[in-house]
Amino acid sequence: MKYMIMLYGSQRDYDAMAGRAAGGPEWTPEQVAAMHAFMTKWNQELVDSGEFVDAQGLADPVHTRRVEPGPDGRPIVTDGPYAETAEVLAGYNIVECASFDRATEIAARILDCPGPEGQGGLYVDVRLIGGAPDDLGT
Amino acid sequence: MTPGSGPSVEGLLRELAPQVLGAVVRRYGHFDLAEDAVQEALIAAAEQWARDGVPGRPRAWLITVAARRLTDLLRAEQARRHREDTVATWTLPEDRLSPAADRVPPESDDTLVLLFLCCHPALPPEGQIALTLRTVGGLTTEEIARAFLVPVATMGQRISRAKARIKASGIPFRMPAKPDPAAVLHVLYLIFTEGYARTSGTDLYAPELTAEAIRLTRIVHRLLPGDPEVTGLLSLMLLTDARRPARAAPDGSLIPMDEQDRTLWNAEAITEGVALVSAALPHGPAGPYQVQAAIAALHDEARTPADTDWPQIVALYEVLLAMTDNPMTRLNHAVAVAMSSGPEAGLALVATLADDPRLRDHHRLHAVRAHLLELSGDPAAARTAYTTAARRTGSRPVQRYLNTRAARLADTGRKPG
Repeated sequence: MKYMIMLYGSQRDYDAMAGRAAGGPEWTPEQVAAMHAFMTKWNQELVDSGEFVDAQGLADPVHTRRVEPGPDGRPIVTDGPYAETAEVLAGYNIVECASFDRATEIAARILDCPGPEGQGGLYVDVRLIGGAPDDLGT
Repeated sequence: MTPGSGPSVEGLLRELAPQVLGAVVRRYGHFDLAEDAVQEALIAAAEQWARDGVPGRPRAWLITVAARRLTDLLRAEQARRHREDTVATWTLPEDRLSPAADRVPPESDDTLVLLFLCCHPALPPEGQIALTLRTVGGLTTEEIARAFLVPVATMGQRISRAKARIKASGIPFRMPAKPDPAAVLHVLYLIFTEGYARTSGTDLYAPELTAEAIRLTRIVHRLLPGDPEVTGLLSLMLLTDARRPARAAPDGSLIPMDEQDRTLWNAEAITEGVALVSAALPHGPAGPYQVQAAIAALHDEARTPADTDWPQIVALYEVLLAMTDNPMTRLNHAVAVAMSSGPEAGLALVATLADDPRLRDHHRLHAVRAHLLELSGDPAAARTAYTTAARRTGSRPVQRYLNTRAARLADTGRKPG
């Protein structure tokens, strides 16, 4: 079974990581390096256990285009639809593992990721990929 | 690492500028802000590379710095917008909804895509020129303003307006479905002619503009080697620019072609120009740039003014006139006719142009008339025409030349007998 582990962040979090904090703790280069090392190790363990499928980080939320139907039916595009503090998908890991509980275990390790003191609100979501379990034989 | 390599850093940056802008716009969009971001990256590089040496992967360095800067610019813009509670939305243009165009993007070079974008018909010509020089040529707004003798603020506005127009029109960053280089060639031609025959100011030339026009045309020629008009334009520029060293007197005044010291002409440029036009001409019907290049070649290959093959030049001007009704071409045709069949024949043609509103007040019409009147032995009328011509040009060197001609005739007139 495949699960997507989703990580969130706001443009403000991206800025803090780039060393431009606005109203929150700033990351030092050492902390950024420690975070990268942690994530690399986390991914490598999944590769080693054969559970790794894919992992990607997304660019700053300012580089977002929202496409929706316009009043005349033609698509309209909004550049940068998110507020600075809006928590949006920042990256994901797709794992293939035995159970939701195993995926949850993998996800929980993320909470140990190093960062500046006082960074709160860190959470990840784990979601099953695909609607029906394989063993229903569909 | 090569610290302190000033000129080579500048050359490298000019070459990389369109590639970096292309890469950033392709990846992130936002042509207008990306252009600002790339300019800032280029400025940062100019300082840092001259001091610390060129990094191992200069293109990647510039793209990284420009992308970071773009993110900052977008953050500031979006924060302001959210504060003001406005949203930046745009509608996808019709042609971007047709699947065919999106599915098969033609092979393209970013520099060429940029050229087509900057020369888009949605922009006025002065906007096309300014934007081309800045984004493809990598010139700063200050340099372009200086070359066109306008205040920096004016040029800055011209560039901003052109960028806003591109943004508003939603032109995608890719080669047009049916790429027609005519608009691009016209902009390059305008840049060249402004450099070669300044319309105002104290200098006869803006060599930075002619050199840039030739450089950019070389790039287009490299990217579209099979397009005979691209080849024709490059040839025309080289053959025209070849005469530059002989075209100005030590005091800066203009020397007409029949009085130039032809040994000063750039033989290398002539050889290259002649080879280019000779290679282009057999490819189907010749376009206007090839014909003009062929005319320039006939001038450049004449060792003395008397050697000039005027009947052939007349014939080529007639080919050109059949393609475009350009009053300046008619005037040049009249000169060629005068040189091959006598000044009276030329004057008769000039007379038919005297009422053309596009030419009536142009100094060239009056200068040609003056010259032909002089050749036909009417110094008094020639003098009046030279003076009229001088009053109608904003170029000091040309004024000086025309007034000198008028004065010389005045001297002759006063001599007894």
